[in-house]
Amino acid sequence: MKMFSVSHKTVFVVDHCPYMTESSRQQIECDMLTKSRAQGVIPLAPVSKSLWTCAVECSMEYCRILFDIYPAKKLVSYIVSDSEFHILNSWRQEDQSVQELMTALAAVGPPNPREDPECCSILHGLVAAVESLCKITEYQHEARTALVDLADRVVNRGRIICLTNAKSDTHVRMLEDCVLETIQEQNKLAAGSDRLMPIQECELVLVHIYPQGDDTLVSDRPKKEISSILSSEVHSVRAGRHLASKLNVLVQQHFDLASTTITNIPMKEEQHANTSANYDVELLHHRDAHMEFIKSGDLHMAGSTSRDSGLKETVTLKWCTPRTNSVELHYCTGAYRISPVEVNSRPSSCLTNFLLNGRSVLLEQPRKSGSKVISHMLSCHGGEIFLHMLNSTRSTLEDPPSISEGCGGRVTDYRITDFGEFMRENRLTPFADISVDAAGRPPVERAKAQLERHTRYWPMIISQTTIFNMQAVVPLANLIVKDSMTEDDVLTCQKTVYNLVDMERKNDPLPISTVGSRGKGPKRDEQYRIMWNELETLVKTHVGMSERHQQVLECISACRSKPPEEEERKKRGRKREDKEDKSEKNGKELEEKVWTQDSDRLKVAVDREKEDQNQSEVIKDSPDSPEPFNKKPRLTTEELQPLEKSKGPVSLLTIWTNRITQANSRKHQEFAGRINSVNNKAELYQHLKDENGRLDTGTCRHLGDGLAAGGCADTGVHLGSNTAVGAYNTSITAPTRNESLAFINIYSDNIKTQNFQFYLLPSLIV
Amino acid sequence: MNSGVKTISCLHTIQSCTISLGLSIIDHFIWIHYFPKKKVFTDIIRLKQESWCCRWYWRCCHWYVIRTHIAADSHQSTLGLLGLVFVGSPTTTVANARQEVDVDETSVFQHVLMSWMHVFLSLPVQEALSNLEDFDKTCLELALQGVSSIVQQEWGSACPCQLVLVTDGALGIGRGTLRHSLATLKQRGEDKKFPLPFPFPCKLYIMCISNAEELQTTDAMENLEQLLTLSGGEGQIFTMEGPLCLKSVQAMFGKLIEQAYMPFHAVLRCGHLTSDVQVFPRPEPVTLDEEVDPVPKHVLTDLEIVGFIEIADIASPPVLSRHLVLPIAVNKADEVGAGTTDEMEEDTSTNQMAGKSPNFCVLLHGSLKVEGMVALVQLGPEWFGMLYSQADSKKKSNLMMSLFEPGPEPLPWLGKVSQLGPISDAPENPYGEDDSKSPFPLQPKSKRSYAQNVTVWIKASGLQTDVQKILRNARKLPEKTQTFYKELNRLRKAALAFGFWELLKGVAELLERECTLLPDSAHPDAAFQLSHAAQQLKLASTGDSQYAGFEHNITPMLTDFSGGGGGSDRM
Repeated sequence: MKMFSVSHKTVFVVDHCPYMTESSRQQIECDMLTKSRAQGVIPLAPVSKSLWTCAVECSMEYCRILFDIYPAKKLVSYIVSDSEFHILNSWRQEDQSVQELMTALAAVGPPNPREDPECCSILHGLVAAVESLCKITEYQHEARTALVDLADRVVNRGRIICLTNAKSDTHVRMLEDCVLETIQEQNKLAAGSDRLMPIQECELVLVHIYPQGDDTLVSDRPKKEISSILSSEVHSVRAGRHLASKLNVLVQQHFDLASTTITNIPMKEEQHANTSANYDVELLHHRDAHMEFIKSGDLHMAGSTSRDSGLKETVTLKWCTPRTNSVELHYCTGAYRISPVEVNSRPSSCLTNFLLNGRSVLLEQPRKSGSKVISHMLSCHGGEIFLHMLNSTRSTLEDPPSISEGCGGRVTDYRITDFGEFMRENRLTPFADISVDAAGRPPVERAKAQLERHTRYWPMIISQTTIFNMQAVVPLANLIVKDSMTEDDVLTCQKTVYNLVDMERKNDPLPISTVGSRGKGPKRDEQYRIMWNELETLVKTHVGMSERHQQVLECISACRSKPPEEEERKKRGRKREDKEDKSEKNGKELEEKVWTQDSDRLKVAVDREKEDQNQSEVIKDSPDSPEPFNKKPRLTTEELQPLEKSKGPVSLLTIWTNRITQANSRKHQEFAGRINSVNNKAELYQHLKDENGRLDTGTCRHLGDGLAAGGCADTGVHLGSNTAVGAYNTSITAPTRNESLAFINIYSDNIKTQNFQFYLLPSLIV
Repeated sequence: MNSGVKTISCLHTIQSCTISLGLSIIDHFIWIHYFPKKKVFTDIIRLKQESWCCRWYWRCCHWYVIRTHIAADSHQSTLGLLGLVFVGSPTTTVANARQEVDVDETSVFQHVLMSWMHVFLSLPVQEALSNLEDFDKTCLELALQGVSSIVQQEWGSACPCQLVLVTDGALGIGRGTLRHSLATLKQRGEDKKFPLPFPFPCKLYIMCISNAEELQTTDAMENLEQLLTLSGGEGQIFTMEGPLCLKSVQAMFGKLIEQAYMPFHAVLRCGHLTSDVQVFPRPEPVTLDEEVDPVPKHVLTDLEIVGFIEIADIASPPVLSRHLVLPIAVNKADEVGAGTTDEMEEDTSTNQMAGKSPNFCVLLHGSLKVEGMVALVQLGPEWFGMLYSQADSKKKSNLMMSLFEPGPEPLPWLGKVSQLGPISDAPENPYGEDDSKSPFPLQPKSKRSYAQNVTVWIKASGLQTDVQKILRNARKLPEKTQTFYKELNRLRKAALAFGFWELLKGVAELLERECTLLPDSAHPDAAFQLSHAAQQLKLASTGDSQYAGFEHNITPMLTDFSGGGGGSDRM
């Protein structure tokens, strides 16, 4: 349906002249005496509704159905007409409710029978109705404003439903002429106004109401074009239930509604709690909910039957007792608001209350073949009941390949649980209508911004990350993604970092993945190096957010201070990682492949050589310790060049030694101390001398780093993290196989002067 | 190449015999109508293989062969009936179509035949077509009818189709031909309506194995154009350029593929996590209101995830269409009708490689499945959709995308999508600390009639029930004082709005009578309340503004029977 079709605006014009007080002569017995009390009591005389009452309640029923199904954008203006017109409500959305109208109608009251009939006329109301139709609605205004230059696309159409008691066909023609004239006049007026729009199309529905038992003075007439703008139809109806069913048919026609009868609804009987009878409930909804039936020509087959009016058809769908609490995502091709035909009947209210309580009901379409096809579902969302149209025909997407067969399908260690947690954190919630933040972003943009922040560093698979596999990192990882951090948050992050330092000091194992790597895992200090690097990567992506984010990075950098070469190496490593990323993305793995093969060959060679050396240098990890994570040999040409450029004939021994040295040098970095040592004696932490004599945990780590870089795997660095005062005499050994590579004594005679002595002893094989 | 030319040339030598073949590509529907030789099916398959250059679709298609007619040897009448072929289900869709592309043609051929026979026997149109044997012509209308009934029966009326009609432009003569069908278009009854336009959305592509000049010499082009208009105008007529050879046919089909079968590639984003994807089938542009906003909306090639919502909260929303979201390796030569074997092999290895590198789609799918959530995804300005895991019965599951209707508020129970924001912005977690609650569904501003106690007296029973309710409570006064007045006021309000003052008087009389019928054992308060209520109703029925105000409520009479049973019940 077009937004601004004739149904966008409906004006009810209801006759409020004295003759409407006449009785409809349809009597209602409202004194239903029970048998036990029947004796000796004179029952109350039946009451009967006036023509006015009939007109009002039927028009209210029309509005009730309309507002149930179209809570917005289909507007009603209600006008009563006697010696003058009374507009009961405006086009404004907040005026569109049955309650509003009922209140206004109560204020109007029934027509005054003593009023002078000569002054009273429905014409006042009809003129007012045309004027009303010219008034722009908020939706029309909005659309016109949005379209600017194309504002003329917004068309002004409307419908007038006039409930009156006409005198004759001539009278009816007079009314039609009057409406046409008024439209022409008003259109001229509207052309020059901003708040008015000329009427392009108007449908006049005249309903002549007469008491039961009378002969009608007005004949029915189907819709007829009176002019290019105005069309008119006449319905001559007896008051009472005939009028009610007529307006019910009209509301269905006017708003493209259709009827569905839910059949076989089991309901407990009030009197017999143990038995349950089956009931039917008729619902109205947009006719698109029957689309599948209409198109397939199944409408009649689907059990549609004609109801009282003869005009109305209903499709019967069978209730299927709902399964309990199953949360399922049905393939639903449409959802349409419903309105029960008899809203306050017991079966209706039982059904609607059942649904309002949050249960859903599947509905079955009876088929000739007897096969069971679930075609619809009734479900309530926030106090509104919808008829969902479910797809019951074959899907073109049936039996698709599994996602595991496609790209990325063979990777098995996705961080599914972590991403689930991520999704929970990034769930959406509705915000009040005017809810922009300081930057003027609506909530949805803030949601996107949050996703952006949360994914700045988010490895997809477990083997790509260390920090996200560590419980200890969680507090920091959760806080660093925030767009603003509190002082407390920073403290928590710092605590996390200290905790990591502590872990490293205690030499706790890290959950470094072993997937995809060959041979034994990286040494523990290498693991920590990887971990610190990753943590830095994470924090660095957020460092621009605020000063406090910066503080966290500073804390990490301070706690993991390392020799400058280390830094250098890391940089190169990162570059390489970047390259890897890129090449992975582009699928151009050729270069990468070559590189990997090279390093693999190298590794194999190195391993073999080590074995040749009686395994003297190999320190085996325990079987539990993780395998190396992508060992990153130092492939720096400037370091290797001198070796390769040795001139002249060389002996086999030289070649062999060079090779070993070269291989070994790729494996580790020379001790800074050894390089700078004098007589194998090096002073440690010289750079700290110009500081204030604070030896923090980071410094101690430094020592560990140095050792790690030296290739003395699995060392225990027994240095207290809060080394304050005291002499250390620590032996760092690799005790497992009696193969001490180095025996290091660290003396701290006077901690305050930082006169550390680092004695490097050549390999002592005990 | 030679065989191809031979095929084409034989098409032109045998003109008396016609066959139509339909081929649908998942939701697309292709129908070939051309001239076979003896080995009808092998020819069709060869033609397809050679000229379509698009093996892509080979394994992910639904095929229908619709044979309207056999003329030269009408002894084969059983095969001459309208029949159809359905080639399996798309067990392998786009993603791995390429991997399995080298299927044994003969086995597929057998499959075609077997399926054909199977479906053929259960064809309801069979009967209708028996009169076909009488005519030796190109019965396009019957074939179209066949298409219509097959699609509706199998796929319903919402499934968009693409119909490809392959013809040499010789439309035949006499009854049942297109010419005849079009001429008699207006003289038909309801039961014999021309099958076009179809009740389902359909694009018609007419492939003429013949050049435009040739077609213009007869009225063929005119007729085909009329056919296209009849189908709703969506589609195109293709003619051959250059000499009649396989190359030209290939070029023509190449254009068709470009026009109608281009895969839809997009980038799925969730912050910095991205994946290149193919959305299958291709999302169709949507026009919301042809009057106010006639420009069709297209799905962007940048699909940005906005956030996540629980399945229970999104609650089976209505969608325009569903699409598979298939991750693709980015350097794949997916452009127009990739064809050569070399490319194919390269692709296979790329695919294998791609299988091993982590892909965001797979991660997203896994977590959506485990958590029972959907991702809200932005498809364009004010257009959204959802991503979710869709599992079929065989433990296979996939990432699926459904499109909501374009607009700022596609689902009333979510509210405006632009107003959905991150939970971290809310003063407290709207889902509760233990996920025990949810901010959805949104409550509408006003309640629907069935969610409030409305009064409708259209049927006498409605009014009677309301009156009886009051009387029932009246007899249980003073215990039921509150409900009594509640019901009384409800009736009063409705009667005032409807201008039904007579009813107010009637009920007042009933209450007065109840008063006289009170047993001696009755609480004294009962009589007071009844006569008070009756008096108030009578006052209201005069229309006196002091008593007949709509918002005014009759309140219980203040009585003091200390220790009386009704004390606690009093307002």
